[in-house]
Amino acid sequence: MDPGVLAQYAFNGLMLGVIYAMVAVGFTLFFGVLDVIQFAHGDVVMAGAFVALATYLALHGLGVAVPGLVVIVVACAAALAMALLGALIARYLVLPLRAAPAFNTLLITLMLGSILRELVRLFYPNGSNPQPFPRLLPTASVNLGNFTLRLDTTILLVVGLATIFVVNLVVRRTRLGLAIRAVAQDSETARVMGIDFQRIVLVTFAIGSALAGIAGVVYGLYYNEVNFDIGLLLGVIGFSAAVVGGLGSIYGAIIGGFLFAALQTIGSVALPVSSAYNNVFAFAVVIILMTWKPTGLIAEPTSERV
Amino acid sequence: MTQPRQSTASVVAPLLACHGLTMRFGGLLALDALDLSVASGEILGLIGPNGSGKTTFFNVLTGLYRPSAGRVEFGGRDIIGASPQQVCRAGIARTFQRSRLCLPLTVFDNVMIGNHLRLDHRVSFNVLRRGALRRQYDECVEAARSLAATFNPRLSSRLFEAAAALDMIDRRRVEICRALVNAPRLLLLDEPSAGMTRGETRELMDDILQIRAARGELTIVIIEHEMNVIERMTERCVVLNYGEKIAEGPFRVVASDPAVQEAYLGQAVAEA
Amino acid sequence: MRVPLEADVRAPARASDLPVAALGIAAVAAWLWAFLVTDRVAILGALLAVAAIAFVLAQRSAVAKRYGLALARRPRMGVAFAAIGVLAVAAALHDQPYPLLMLCTVMLFVVACIGLDIQTGYCGIVNFAGAAFFGTGAYTAAVLAKQGVPHLFGIVCGAIVAALVGSLLILPVLRTRGYYAALVTIAFGILFSTFLEVNNALGGPQGLKLPGIDLFGWRFNRDVDIGGASASFYVNYVVLALALALGAYVFSRRVDRSWIGLTFDAVRLDETAAAAFGIGIARAKIIAFTLGNFLCGLAGAVYAMMQGFIAPNNFTFGESLILVSILILGGIGNPLGIVPAALIIIVVPQKLQFIQEYRFLLYGILVVLILLFRPEGLLPRPVRRYFPAPR
Ligand SMILES: Nc1ncnc2c1ncn2[C@@H]1O[C@H](COP(=O)(O)OP(=O)(O)OP(=O)(O)O)[C@@H](O)[C@H]1O
Ligand SMILES: [Mg+2]
Repeated sequence: MDPGVLAQYAFNGLMLGVIYAMVAVGFTLFFGVLDVIQFAHGDVVMAGAFVALATYLALHGLGVAVPGLVVIVVACAAALAMALLGALIARYLVLPLRAAPAFNTLLITLMLGSILRELVRLFYPNGSNPQPFPRLLPTASVNLGNFTLRLDTTILLVVGLATIFVVNLVVRRTRLGLAIRAVAQDSETARVMGIDFQRIVLVTFAIGSALAGIAGVVYGLYYNEVNFDIGLLLGVIGFSAAVVGGLGSIYGAIIGGFLFAALQTIGSVALPVSSAYNNVFAFAVVIILMTWKPTGLIAEPTSERV
Repeated sequence: MTQPRQSTASVVAPLLACHGLTMRFGGLLALDALDLSVASGEILGLIGPNGSGKTTFFNVLTGLYRPSAGRVEFGGRDIIGASPQQVCRAGIARTFQRSRLCLPLTVFDNVMIGNHLRLDHRVSFNVLRRGALRRQYDECVEAARSLAATFNPRLSSRLFEAAAALDMIDRRRVEICRALVNAPRLLLLDEPSAGMTRGETRELMDDILQIRAARGELTIVIIEHEMNVIERMTERCVVLNYGEKIAEGPFRVVASDPAVQEAYLGQAVAEA
Repeated sequence: MRVPLEADVRAPARASDLPVAALGIAAVAAWLWAFLVTDRVAILGALLAVAAIAFVLAQRSAVAKRYGLALARRPRMGVAFAAIGVLAVAAALHDQPYPLLMLCTVMLFVVACIGLDIQTGYCGIVNFAGAAFFGTGAYTAAVLAKQGVPHLFGIVCGAIVAALVGSLLILPVLRTRGYYAALVTIAFGILFSTFLEVNNALGGPQGLKLPGIDLFGWRFNRDVDIGGASASFYVNYVVLALALALGAYVFSRRVDRSWIGLTFDAVRLDETAAAAFGIGIARAKIIAFTLGNFLCGLAGAVYAMMQGFIAPNNFTFGESLILVSILILGGIGNPLGIVPAALIIIVVPQKLQFIQEYRFLLYGILVVLILLFRPEGLLPRPVRRYFPAPR
C-alpha cells in the first residue's frame, strides 16, 4: 500500500486513540477512588460535545467571532459543565448506592446514560439527527504525497495529549493527587488520616468528567459532526481500554486507548468488508479481548482476597 | 530459629501433610516453605501475629489460591492444584474469617449450601420430579434441624428465617453447621471467636467439642488469637510468623518459647 | 416487619371462601379489561391509582394476606385462576384486536423477562443483551418461516438458536464478573442491532416480513368463530402466549424452589464460598444463562410471528434496557412482580401516544428513582420456600 495512505491511516488512528484514551482515563480514575464503573461516562462525552455546540451557537448569535477565543470559551464551557455534571452524578447517584450491590450502581449509571442520550435526542433542536459541528481551528494543511497533515487535527492531537498529561500531573504531583491516590489505595485508611473522602470522590469525578467534556469537543472538532448516540460506542470502548490497560492505572488507560484505536484502524484497513461493519468489528474486538484477558493485558493476575 | 519439636501426634500416616508450602504475593512471602502435618482425629491450633499467613494457609489448602511451591497431601492424595470443589469433595470444609453467610437466604438454605455434594441438582430431577425432591428435602430438613439442635435448640426452631435476622453467635453457628453438614474429614476454623464475647466464645467452643464427641473422627485445624481457646481446645499448636513456622508443640511449651514471645512482642511494639 | 409464615395463617378451606376468591379474580380481570380498553388519559390514571391503593391496602390487610397465603399454598389453583382471568378478559375483548395484541405483547414480554430473571435475579449474571436474544429468536423464526419450515419447529428453533448464540457468549460470561460481564453483554447487545442494520441478507434496516402462525393446519391469523360470534384472530395468540407465560412462570418457580435455585443463589451471593462447598460455578452459570436465553428466544419467535414484521430497531440496546427496567420495577428475583411491571411499562406508553416518544427517558428516570428509593421493586423477593405449607 502507498506509504502516504498508510501514514494517513496511522495519523487517523492516533487521533482516535487520543479520544479513547481521554475517555479511558476517566473510567480508571473513578474506578480507582470508588471501585465503580460509571457507565454513563461515554454519554458525558456526548453531552460535553453538545454543550460545546450550544455554547458556540450562543456565541455566534451574540456576534463573538474571534476564532481563538471562541474555541477556548467553547472548550472551557464543556469542561466546566461536565465537571459539574460528574460531581452531581457522584454525589446523587453513585455515592448513595455504595452499600447496595454493584449491580445497582451499574444499572443506575447505565440508565443515566440512557437519560442523557434521550434528553439530547428529544430536547436539543433536531437532536435525533447528526448535528454539524463547526470548524473552529485553522484548517491549513501540507500535502506529503498521499498524506495530508492538517493543522487542526495536529492541534487536536497535541491538545488531547496535553490534557491527559495535565491530569496525570495533577494526580501524581499535587497534594490533591496525593489524596486521590490515598483514597484509591485504601479509602478506610485515607479517611482515618483525615482525608475528606466525599470531597475527594467528587473532585475526582469532576476531573474525569471535565476530561470527558474536552474529549467531546475534540471529537466534534475532529469529525465535524456529533450525534446523540456517540456515547454508547465511546463508553464501551473507553471502559474496555481502561480494563485492558488494568483498571486503576492511568498509563494503562492511555495504552489501552491507543491499542483499541490501532485495532480498529487495522480492522478497517485489513478487513475485506464494507466500512459499515466498522462498529460491529469494534464491539467484537471488545468481547474477544475481555474474554481473552478479563483482567487486562498489563496487570499481573492477582488472587482476590478471601 | 528453634528446632521443630517432636510432634505428640501418633505415628500413623497423617491426615494432612504439607511440605515446603510457599505462597508469594508479588514480593510478599505469605507462606515460606511451610512443613506441617495434622494427624487424624487431632485438633491443631494455628497461631501467629496478624499477617503471618494463617488465613493464606487455609486459602491454599482449600484451592482458593494456587501456591507458588510445595506439596499438600490429604488422606494420601495430592491436592495441590485441585479446585476448591475438588478439595471439598476430598473432605475438607472450612469457615471464613469474615463471615460469608448468604444473609438474604434462610438458615436452612445456608446449611444446604454446605450439603451441596449430597443433593441431586439435575435440572430434570428438580423441575419434574417434585415428589422425589420433596422426599430429599424432608430428609435434609431433618438433618439440618438435628445438626442445628446440637448447637442450640433455639437455632433449630429458626431454620426458615433469613440468616440476616440472626445475631453474631448464631450466624457463626450456622457457618459451622454449613461446614459440618457434609461430614467432612477435616474442618478448618478461621478465628471462630472473632467478634464475640468471652462467654459466647466459651459457649461456641463447648458446642464444637460436643459435636466432635458425637461425630467421632473429626480432625480440626483452628486459627485463633484468643489464647485461652487454643489452650483449652488443642493438644498441639503451630506458630507462624511471616509465613514461617517458628514453633510447634503443646500450647504451654510453645507459649514459653522465646522466639514466639518475640514474634508477638514485635507486633505489640509495632502496634504501640 | 416480619412477614407471617404460611403456617401461621390458617388457609381458608371452607366452601364459603370460594365465592370471595372468585370475586377477587373478577375484580382483577375487570381492572385488566378496563386498563386494556381505555384510551382516555384520565381513566388510565384513575385505574393506576386504584391499583396503587389496592396494592397498598392489600399489603396491610390481614384478609388479603390470608388469601394470598392460601393461594401460595395451592400454586396450581393460582395458575388456574390466572388462566381463567386472562381468558375471561380475552373473551370480553374478543372483537377488539388492538387490546388483544397488547395483552399478548405483555405476556410475551413476561416470558422474556422471566428468562432474564433466571439469569440476573437468580444467578447474578447481568445480561444487558436481552433484546438481542429476543431478536435472535425472532429472526430465526422469520428466516425459517420463509424457508417453509413448519412453524412450531421454527419457533422452537428460535429458542434453541438464541440459547446457542448465548453459548458463544458463555466463555466471556464465565471468565468475567460484575462490571466486566456487563460490558460484554452491552457490547453484544449493540453489536447485534448494528449488525442487523448493516446486513442485507436479513433485510437490513427494513427488516423482514413473517406469515402468521400455522399450527398443524390451524391458522392463527384467521378470525375465529365461536358459536356464531366472530372473534379477532388475536385470540389465538392470547391462548398461545398465555400458555407460554404460565409455563415459564411455573418453570421458573420450580427452578427457584429447588436445589438449583439454591445453587444459583449461592453463586450470585458469594462465588468464593459457593466454590468452597463444592458448587460448580460454571455449571450453574451455564444452566442459568442458557435457560434464560432460551426463554427470551422463545418469546421473540412468537412475538415476531404475531407482529408479522420485524426490524432491527425492535431489538436495540434501548429495548434491552426496557427489559431490565421491567425486572427492576417488578422486584428482581420475583417472577410475580414481572407481571404488573410489564403491564405498566408496555401498555402505558401505547396508551399515551404523547409519551411514546419519551418512553426511554421516562423509564430511565423511573429506574433511577426505584434504585434510589425502593431498590427491592414492587414485589420484593420473599425467602425461599421449597414447597407450599411447611410443617
Ligand atoms: N490475595 C492477596 N493478595 C496479596 N496479598 C495477600 C493476599 N492475601 C493475603 N495477603 C498478604 O499475605 C499476608 C498474610 O495474610 P493472612 O491473611 O494469611 O494473615 P493472617 O495470619 O490470617 O492474619 P490475621 O490474623 O490478621 O487474619 C499479609 O501480609 C497479607 O497482606
Ligand atoms: Mg486471617
